[in-house]
Order: sequence, then C-alpha cells, then structure tokens
Amino acid sequence: MEGTTRADLFDPASLASMGRIEIVARWVVDGFLTGLHRSPRKGFSVEFAEHRPYQPGDDLRYLDWKIAARADRWVVKQFEEETNLRAVLVLDVSPSMAWRGAPARLTKLAYAERLTAALALLLLRQRDAVGLVCFDERVRSVLPPRARMTQWRRLVGALDRMREGTDARRSDAGDALLQAARVVRRPGLIVLISDLLTDVAPVDRAVRALRAAGHDVAALHIVDPAERELTASGDALFVDPESGLAVPAAVAEVRDAYRATVAAALDEWRATFVRGGGRYETVMTDAPFGAPLRRAFAARQDSGR
Amino acid sequence: MGFLAPLFLALGLGAAVPLLIHLLRRRTGVRIEFPAARYLARAEQEHSRRLKLRNLLLMMLRVLAVTCIALAAAQPVSGTLGRLVGAGHAPAAIGIVLDNSLSTSVIANGRPVLDRLKAIAVRAARGATVGDRVWLVTADGRTQGGTAAAVASAIVRTEPLSGAGDLPRAAAAAAGLVRSAGVADPVVAIVTDGQATAWSGMTDLGGVRVVIYAPAEPGPANRAVVAAAARPARWTPRGEVTATVQGTVPPGGSDSTTYRIGLGVRTLARGTVAVTPIGDERTARDRLAAGVGAISVHAAPPERGWVGGSVEIEADELRGDDTRYFAMWIGEPPAVASDSSAGPFIRSAVDALVANDRATTGAAGQGSRAIAIVAADHLTSLPALIVPPSDPVRMGAANRALERSGVPWRFGGVQRGEATIDGIESASPIGAAADTGGRAAPVTASLAYAMVAQGSAPADTLARSANKPWAVAGPGYVLIASPIDPVSTSLPLRAVFVPWIGDLLAQRLVGAGGGLGGAGNGVLESEPGETLRRPAGAEELEAPDGAVRVLSGATIDAPARPGVYFLRRAGGRVGALVVNPPPRESDLTRLATQTLATRFRGRSVLAGTDGEEWARAVFDAHAARPLARIFLVAALVALLAESLLTRRAVMRSSGGMTATRRAA
Repeated sequence: MEGTTRADLFDPASLASMGRIEIVARWVVDGFLTGLHRSPRKGFSVEFAEHRPYQPGDDLRYLDWKIAARADRWVVKQFEEETNLRAVLVLDVSPSMAWRGAPARLTKLAYAERLTAALALLLLRQRDAVGLVCFDERVRSVLPPRARMTQWRRLVGALDRMREGTDARRSDAGDALLQAARVVRRPGLIVLISDLLTDVAPVDRAVRALRAAGHDVAALHIVDPAERELTASGDALFVDPESGLAVPAAVAEVRDAYRATVAAALDEWRATFVRGGGRYETVMTDAPFGAPLRRAFAARQDSGR
Repeated sequence: MGFLAPLFLALGLGAAVPLLIHLLRRRTGVRIEFPAARYLARAEQEHSRRLKLRNLLLMMLRVLAVTCIALAAAQPVSGTLGRLVGAGHAPAAIGIVLDNSLSTSVIANGRPVLDRLKAIAVRAARGATVGDRVWLVTADGRTQGGTAAAVASAIVRTEPLSGAGDLPRAAAAAAGLVRSAGVADPVVAIVTDGQATAWSGMTDLGGVRVVIYAPAEPGPANRAVVAAAARPARWTPRGEVTATVQGTVPPGGSDSTTYRIGLGVRTLARGTVAVTPIGDERTARDRLAAGVGAISVHAAPPERGWVGGSVEIEADELRGDDTRYFAMWIGEPPAVASDSSAGPFIRSAVDALVANDRATTGAAGQGSRAIAIVAADHLTSLPALIVPPSDPVRMGAANRALERSGVPWRFGGVQRGEATIDGIESASPIGAAADTGGRAAPVTASLAYAMVAQGSAPADTLARSANKPWAVAGPGYVLIASPIDPVSTSLPLRAVFVPWIGDLLAQRLVGAGGGLGGAGNGVLESEPGETLRRPAGAEELEAPDGAVRVLSGATIDAPARPGVYFLRRAGGRVGALVVNPPPRESDLTRLATQTLATRFRGRSVLAGTDGEEWARAVFDAHAARPLARIFLVAALVALLAESLLTRRAVMRSSGGMTATRRAA
C-alpha cells in the first residue's frame, strides 16, 4: 500500500478488513506521513540519535547527503529530543462503544482501537512517549508512556485484551482522565477517545484539573452516523445497552427533535473542552482515519510548541 | 342529512385505525439497542409538548381524512347544509310532461307556443346529470327515457298533436315512472300552455314533487268549427250539412267568418257565418233561429255512395281546428210500393214523399228492391213497412204471413187505452221531433197489438208505448204495433208523420249502402289517436290519400291526422271513420298559474311563468344536494395537511438503522 495508495484515506471498515490492528495502524500512519507536507515547525530534535531509511514525506532537510553520495543510500538523520512529549491515550471501552449503526461500519470501539494504535505509532515515530489508559466505569488498564518502539507492541497487546469487552453499566471519563494525569507525571498530552455518552460535569472538572496541571487535553468524540441522524424508522423501544435506559419513540415524530438534541449535546461537549482549554473533535466512524489522525497530530504539534 | 349509499358508512370504521395506532404506538414490541438513548429521552423530554401536539394533530387529521372518505363514499345529501356548501344536485328522477296538444300549435308572438314550451323543457333535460333519470311523456302518452341528451333530442323532435291527448293521464304516467326510480326526490316537471279544458279536473300525482310552467299571457283569440255533421247519415239523396262555429268574441261585440263546405273534391257551399262565443251551449236549432254560429246547408248532391266532406273557415292562429270533417252515405231515393191494406194515411204520406223526390214508386214482390208498405196479412216479401191489419180477425193470417216472410215477430193481444209513444223523434236524425218536444202534443197510441219476439233475432226497438215495443226494425223490415189511422194512433195527425215515414224508408229499409248499420248508420266519430271498437265487417281502412290499411283485432286506433277515413269490406266502402279534434281543444282559455297549481295534488306543487326559474326549480333549490365532493375535498385537505406535517420526516425515513447487540 505504501507509496501508491494512502491508507489513511481509505474507508475505515474496508481497511480494517484487510489486516490486524497493528498492520492497519502502520498503513494508516505510513499513508498519513506520505501525505504530510513540510511542517511549518521543526518536528525533529536537534541532538542526533540514529539514521533510518528515508520514507516518502520525510523532510529533505534531514536527508544525510553524505551517506547518499558515499553509499548511494537514502537515509535521514534522527535526533534525540531532550524534551520528549509524553502522551497518554485514554480510550473508552465501555459497552456503548461496542455498537455500530450499520453492518458496513466499524463499531465505535473497533474504530477507536485502530485510531488509537495509529496515533500511538505516529507519536512513537516522532520519538514521543506514548501511554494508554483504558476505562469504562473504572480504569481497566494502564500502560505508562514509553518512547521505545516496543511500546507500540505493548500498546496493541493491551488493546487486544480490551477487545473482550466489559459489562460496565456506565463510563467514567473524568476519573480516567485524572488517572491518566497521574501516569504522565509531568505536563504532557492527554487524548480522550470516547463516545462521551457520559455526564459532562465530571469530565469538565477533570479537563480543568488537567489544564491546571499543565497538560494539554484533546478529545476525539467517536460518533456513529446513526447516532447523529437517528436513521431508524418506525416505532420502537430504544434501549441503551450500557445504562439500560429504555425509551419508546416513533422515529418519524421525534427525529427532528433528536437531531437538535444531539447537535446541542455536541456543542456542549465542544464548549466544555474549549472552555477548559482543551481541543475537541467529532470523529464519525465512517470517516477515514486520516482526518482524526491529522487533528490529533495537530494537537501534538501544538502541545510540543 | 341522508345517504344514498349508507353501507359505505362502514368504511368509517377505518377511522379507528389511526386512532388505535396513536394509542398503541408506545406499546410496540420492537426493541433496538441504541447507546444514544439518553439523547432520545432528552429530545422527547424537551420537545414533549410540541411532539404531543403534533401527534395529536396528525392523529386527528388522519381520522378526519378516513371519516371524510367514508362519508363521501356513502354519498351524503343534505338540504340545509347542501344549500350552503353542496354542489350540483342529488340524483333525481325527472318526468318531463310536455304538452303538445293541438292548442300548443297556436301561433303566438310569431311562433308556435309549442316551440317555446320545447325550449323550456330542453333546459330541464340538459340540466340533468349522469346520475339522474329522465323521461319525456307527451300528451298522447308517448314516453321516451334514457340519457339527458336523448330526452333533449326527443323534446326537440316533438310535433304537435292533432288532438287534445290526455295530459292528466300523461302526468300520472310520468309520476309512476319517477316513483319507480326509487330516488329520494322524484319530480314531475310539466310544461304546458295551461289550457283550462286540458286541466279541468284534479290530477293526483301522489308523493312526487310537481313543478309546472305555463305562459303568463292569456290564450290568443281563436275561431273554430266545433261541430259538423251530415243529417241524416244516409242521404236519399237529399240531406243537410250543419256546422257550428265558435270563437273568441269580445263581450258586447260580434265576429263573423267566411266558410266553405266541401264535399269530396268540390265545393258544396260558401257563405259567412256569425261566430258564437266559445262555451255557447245553445242547440243548433236555437243558434240557427238566432242566426249566429250555426251553418245549415240542404243539398241533393249527385255523388253516390260513401262520401266525405269538410267545413272550413278562414285560417287563424290555430290552424288545426279551422276545418272539420263529416261523412255520409248518398243513395237514390227508395222505391216504394204502397199497398191499400196499409191504409189511406200511409198512402198519402208516400205520395208526399214521392212528390218531394224523397221516394219513388215501384212494384213490390219477389225479386224487387221496392219497399212494400202493407198490412201484415198481405205481406209477401221484404223489405217492407208492416202495419197490423185493420180487421182483428185477420190477425192469424197476419202472423202466418210474418212467419212465411221470416219476420221474427208476432202480433199478440190487443191493448186499448191511450198511451204516449216514445221514440218517434229518435227515428228522425234531423231532430224535427226534438224541436217540437215539450211544445207540441205528444204522439199517442189508443190501440196497439202486443209484439212478441220469436227467438233471439236481432232487432232495434224504434219506439215504445206503455213501455212495450211499438215500432221495431230488423233486417229488411219495420213492424208497427198500431194500425195507421186516427182511431188507433195520433201519429198520422202529427207533422212528424211524413218525415218519420220518410226516414224509416231511407234509413231502415233501403238495402244498398247500409253495410255496417248500427247507431251511427255506419259513421264512426273519433278524436285523433282514440281507440275504438272495430265494427263487425270492417276489414280495411282507406285513408284520404287512398292508402288502404288492413284492420285486425277487436279495436281500431284512430289515425292521428284528422280527416274522413272509409271502412271497407270486400273492396267496397261500408262505412266511414271521421276523425276531428275535440271541440274543447279550440277553447284556448288559460288558467292562471295559481289556479293551475290547485289542479294538482303532490308532495309539493309549484307553478310559475318564468322558464329559467322553472328549470332551476326542477332540480329544486330546496331539495337535498350531494355533499360527496365537499367531503372529498375535506379529506384531500386533511391528507395534504398531514403530508405537510410529516413531509420532512417521511423524506428522511428512507434510511434505516440496524441494531447490533454488541460487536464481536
């Protein structure tokens, strides 16, 4: 896939069907880096660390011309940054994430796992330290941040273990964010990947606390299109698999009001994060991974500035 | 409000469907996993009032639409509501009675009244719709049903009758037709000239609505020959033509007209006659005496056999009654052989008749056509005028002679005592006896022999005395009960004697031309189209233009055209059928509309003089009107509103959502 097509722009469900999570994540990141043009910032450290083969999209400024002239090999110089970014990806694995609005789409959790893996790989390739916190009503697993490439293997393994699912009755993103802050130790980047079907207030408090501690906070709000548009038809009893909340409704009658409510909820979440100094992005599960990855990468760039 | 198809109201049960859906929609069994149920709950909570209102409105619109469709299918009709919002009219059964009697052929304002009536009737026919049932019934009882266009066409084609028809009967027939249609509001629509004589009695049309049009203006002036006759019906060869002319004569004024009497193809007489007012009940003799309104022409024409004639006056606005027809048989004077046994008075009478060319002398006997006038005991052959013998001793010989001659009567015992003879005047078609009746001394009989009929031989009793036959007539004979002398009867002393003898000879004993016989002496009088009993022996009917129609059955339908038609047997004329319009049709006096309305009995009766209003009234502004269209429009509006209310939702319902319990 490398060089000819960009996996980050593929339909996520189609891409996911092609391989395991780490493979897909690599394709996505490779594609993403291929399409990445020259960054307005110097993303690499100033202290040389090692060489690596040149990959399309690499900044030519870091191409080692001497080696290219002597050995006819294209390598780029990599530098050890003294102030490595420490990032923690906080992934929601609650039952509500294991849902999809159409068979042709990924569940929110499957989408989020691949996005998390890709993001972690992207950060690790930037020599950032990446950790992982999985949560539902409580924190299910914690992987402290490391900058080694082996960290990515551990992270993917942790994601695999989380795929078994949970039977939690709610998700507590606020607590998970605070736990993640403890893992980072010093100011870093905390990325919340969740469907945010939880109360706003604890999250709001957590975001404020994290920002007060000097952390950058970004939220990738995973939303299935069916959740946003209510594309069902007829009369039915709508049941929340997480909380058990059951709502009888005639879709044709309530659709407009529902859309307005969802739009208001998304606006509320955006306001919550922005007001708290964080970043917020809505990620639709039918959108290619490139889009959210770009937004997350932008958050990383801002955080490292 | 009523319903023409009430069974369709059952469709109204369909209105319960949206109601049940509305009530049961929260009890649906479909369960969908939906993590964002919290947003759904919040949406319902935040918009519950608006949602409930919209749901209620949708439910009401749907119930309204279904109910309106059910009501429309049931074809509602309403009076009060229909007048406010209804359109068209309820399915109607309309019987249009078009007066096309002779009186409607009168020219008024430059065109026949019938044309005007037809134009008005056509409006009603063309106002009918597909759901209506329409019939046309004309004055002669002819009925045309079918589509409105067919009836309108039939109206346009209608021609005036030559007679009066029977309008009350036509109206009753129309009422029967519209009642049989089974609609809620049957109506008989009558278009007439309002002639008083046509609507003289009460016409009961039962439970139907009656709408009448009649012209507002009075009937035009008219003159008519209301009677014409040849007297006697058999001329030998002398006779008299009498006619009566009546017309519209202003009070205190006078009127006259010229006339022409035609006989066959020639003119018999011309003259001027004063017109008597219509309704003048005076007799012809009285009118003749007064010198007005009556025509009397004596003649001895050369024609022989059955002859038709006419009396014509100047043409006026109503042409159909300006000519009246008559017919008579004209033959040679009867040959008479008077025997002395009949007495001197008979002999004198015969001499007087011969002197006036009303008879000729001949020789009686076998093989002779001469009429013998004899005493019974001298009777040897027929035809004969037979009187009793003057000597009672000869009575036995008289009865034997009667038996030998085949006369089915015998003389019985003598009866003495004066008794009035009734019926002598009836034997005189001219009516001379009638003219003297009540003023001259009656004819009496002092001596008369009882006359005993033998078997059941047919015979006419010409006169009676003491309620017993005094003069009887049969084939070839006339038998008198008293000897003709002043001792036995006063008849020879009366002025009627000679004419009566002459009439007996001419009317009863002349053999040729008699043919059909009967009360009219072979002349039948009829109105156009009237049904008559066919005279025995009449085999064919010869029209004035010479066309011959074979007769069959017991009755004859008189031709529609006035004129003289001849009855034929074995190729020869044996009688006449004289067809004339009824005199009452010449009286163009019209009833006022209010008076005309009182001549009908129905569910409601409305009479007017405005054609437009009449045509509207046929479809009755007060009757129920259909509301189906209104309900359909209401249903359409309800469905449109429902569609607008749900349009956005429906447009976005094309997608679907699949619930997944949990991703693997």
